[in-house]
Amino acid sequence: MNLNIRLVIKMLSFVILLLAIAMLPSLLVSLIYREFSTAIAFIKIIVPLLIFGYITAYRVKTISTKLGLREGFLIVALSWLSASLLGSFPYLLTDTIDGFVNAFFESTSGFTTTGASVISDIENLPKGILFWRSFCQWIGGMGILIFAISILPALGISGQRIARAETPGPSLNKVVPRMSDSAKILYAIYIAFTLAAVALLLAGGLNPFDAFIAAFGSVASGGLSNYNLGIAHFNSSYVEGVSALFTILSCVNFTLYYSAIRGKWHDFFTDRELWAFLLVLCAGAVLITGNLWHTGSYSSFAESLRFGFFQTSAFLTTTGHFSADFNLWPAFSKMVLFLLMLIGGCSSSTGGGIKIIRIVILFKLIQRGFFVRLHPRAIVPVKIQGKIISTEVMTGVMSFLCLYVFVFLLSSLVLSFENLDLLTTFTATAAVLNNVGTGLELVGPTGSFALFSDFTKIYLSFLMLMGRLELFTIILLFTPSFWNPDR
Amino acid sequence: MRLNIRLIIRILSIVTLLLSLAMLPALCTSLLYGESNTVKAFSLCIVPILLFSALLAFVSNPTSTILRIRDGFLIVALCWVLGSVVGALPYIVSGVIPNFADAFFESASGFTTTGSTILHDIEILPKGILFWRSFTHWLGGMGILIFAIALLPALGINALHIAAAETTGPSMDKLSPKMTDSTRILYVIYIGMTVMETILLLLGGMDLFDALVHTFGSVGTGGFSSYNDSIGHFDSLYIEMVISVFTLLAGVNFSLYYLLFLGNWKGFFRDGELRVYLYIICGATLLITAVLTIFGIARGIGDAFRLAFFQAVSIITTTGYCTTDFSLWPSAGTMVLFLLMFVGGCSSSTAGSVKVIRIAVFIKLIRRGIYKRLHPTAVVPVKLGDRSLSSQVVSKIASFLLLYLSLFLFGTLLLSLDSFDLITTASSVAACLGNVGPGLGDVGPLSNFSGYSDGATVFLSLLMITGRLELFTILFLFLPGFWNPDR
Repeated sequence: MNLNIRLVIKMLSFVILLLAIAMLPSLLVSLIYREFSTAIAFIKIIVPLLIFGYITAYRVKTISTKLGLREGFLIVALSWLSASLLGSFPYLLTDTIDGFVNAFFESTSGFTTTGASVISDIENLPKGILFWRSFCQWIGGMGILIFAISILPALGISGQRIARAETPGPSLNKVVPRMSDSAKILYAIYIAFTLAAVALLLAGGLNPFDAFIAAFGSVASGGLSNYNLGIAHFNSSYVEGVSALFTILSCVNFTLYYSAIRGKWHDFFTDRELWAFLLVLCAGAVLITGNLWHTGSYSSFAESLRFGFFQTSAFLTTTGHFSADFNLWPAFSKMVLFLLMLIGGCSSSTGGGIKIIRIVILFKLIQRGFFVRLHPRAIVPVKIQGKIISTEVMTGVMSFLCLYVFVFLLSSLVLSFENLDLLTTFTATAAVLNNVGTGLELVGPTGSFALFSDFTKIYLSFLMLMGRLELFTIILLFTPSFWNPDR
Repeated sequence: MRLNIRLIIRILSIVTLLLSLAMLPALCTSLLYGESNTVKAFSLCIVPILLFSALLAFVSNPTSTILRIRDGFLIVALCWVLGSVVGALPYIVSGVIPNFADAFFESASGFTTTGSTILHDIEILPKGILFWRSFTHWLGGMGILIFAIALLPALGINALHIAAAETTGPSMDKLSPKMTDSTRILYVIYIGMTVMETILLLLGGMDLFDALVHTFGSVGTGGFSSYNDSIGHFDSLYIEMVISVFTLLAGVNFSLYYLLFLGNWKGFFRDGELRVYLYIICGATLLITAVLTIFGIARGIGDAFRLAFFQAVSIITTTGYCTTDFSLWPSAGTMVLFLLMFVGGCSSSTAGSVKVIRIAVFIKLIRRGIYKRLHPTAVVPVKLGDRSLSSQVVSKIASFLLLYLSLFLFGTLLLSLDSFDLITTASSVAACLGNVGPGLGDVGPLSNFSGYSDGATVFLSLLMITGRLELFTILFLFLPGFWNPDR
């Protein structure tokens, strides 16, 4: 079977067109703030992209509209890759970031909602560029919802949406109706969240520009800020509260909101993953608050709770916001933060990481491991919410977890050649693979990823893409059998 | 179904009886060196334990000789815990380690062939105590061979032993014939290796005491030495080579030696696990050699190779001897060693940690996972060599791997309450759980574990025993379902 290259190109040209259109708000921002050189830079990118996108979209003739599995994987991977590549041009043309590698890293970090940065002083950047940087995250968050809700089930990457009865199909064709119906409501929810966050932040006294940027960072669980100190800049528990609330909301499975809107509140509140998510969130906050208070890191219990809760929500939702320099926290709190990074949000949300549902299945697998050893002849199905999880899905999750561990360890090994301390190495890998964006030590709240070499930055960018697209989507492209399936 | 308590007590009292007899060589050593205090301490331990166990064995009077799975798990777990408690007595009575938690740690570290220590200066210790310390390694190595080759298959933990044709039975009755036949040959091999290494070390210019101590440390893959600088003390290529070769041999599946014994050379060299084991050692050695050469740590490539080979073998076999302070190596070098801590030797050897065979299955699971994305309907068995593994075995191995990782992360979280830096904390847990010995940072090869609080010391000791007994054996004891199976 040959790849349907023409159709792949056509789909990608739509991505390019959309990207060009997505640059318009940034252009507008730079015009409002009278940054004319930035505005010209944006125009210089938008026009060629529009023309190129239009030509490829309408001049390339597709012979067949059939999309197989391989085309699906290829389109998704290339969409993110080309968005990251083209998204780096505004940085390059305005000379705000030196070198292609840095710009690509920054852009990838945006589109994958990671929020890792190579810029050490962001407050000097033009507003238009700052807006673009954060807007990338918002688009990335939107993109990941399409990917998770409409495309992933069709590609057969189980683990997502396991609670619902769903069969992964071998072809993408059935996606199209889904994309136009229910998915539309999900985007409406996403936009509504953004607007609500902006409104609440405005009410808290932020100016519109800051409010939009903080809202983009929270709703997309990205975490980029326009201040060097991040959220700590505002030093307001109100702003921290609003930001935490929306990071948490956007890390809940978006299909649950869909059932809530359709009046199925029962489905919403009985969702096992949601409860597990809230449980982890509370446990993390309690452990960190208790530890901070016990060790006297902050003068009062209220302050410990404020910083403990905010940091827990920022790391569990893989946002990577920070309101305190947690590098100075005791080891236990740091370890909790590290674990939260790995866990991540719910499936079909904008959060990254392993995802709560897989963690739930992980524990069920271990539990079964115990049971099977005591009762060797028993056959025990794994159940979630009373529904039996098929062996197919189980092995899918198992292989995902194994691959995740493997990628994490291998990447840590690759990063260790930078000869930084091991904690920086491990947490930089975790921060990037889980799309968190902030690690510990040298890549902590006061650090940046600028200290890595060019090779490592490219590697980290790919790691972000890999983590964002559930590992397999990117890794498949590197297997010979993907390109030569008949072998 | 109730536990057969009487029989359990009888078996345990026989174990303590044997242990008290095992103290006799150490007693002789202190007699030879004229250490009257230590002689007194050993006599004070031996006589009461001997009398008490003999009495208990006589009184217990079991009514039935049937052992079920639960009895088996309980016996094995209690053997190691009780052995470590009894083994700690000489340290306490002689006043070398007055604190019980520390003495228990040292003793557990001996019996589990870990080789971690809480002692600052071992060179000032009485010879009798040093001998006992190392002899516990040798006993522990012997014990683990019984456990892995004879008991484990009967308990249904069958990731081990896949190479040899094996059946897992639900009851322990069928053990006795196995234990007397093939297993006897294994002890002959174990003792043969011990004698051979002692002779070779004597030829290298060691005195008999040092030769025995280091032989026990290497064939038991333990790692206790009689010098603070470990093997670095001798600064002799010959001695390093002898020790490397014997630790490497002790990390090979002992049932393969049985094949050699039967003249089946082909079966020996065709073993998939052995090959992977050797590949990993070669790969790690080359990688470390390159790192040490590039970063200019060693004098020339030959020196780099010497350091790398010794350290790679020492860590992968979970021995923990060292010729240099590897915690000062460049990050890439320490990272490789850290990863090797999670590999361990072959199954049914004296080495600890995850075991090569599980790592092999881990990689195969990932490969199958990737293949399955592209061919969702394909049925692909996991193959090892030319045998395909049943899905039950695969899921057992997967649950073991995931449990190992979860336990490692959980242990690190708990230990981080002691507020050491996270690399020290994580490597302490990895070193204890994998029965390696030294970790990185503050628990590096030239430091020790004495900085930890009593609670942490006991926790680490339990981790050693848990890791040594393939996790499940110990963790079962914490499950309510174990004690109350009819629920």
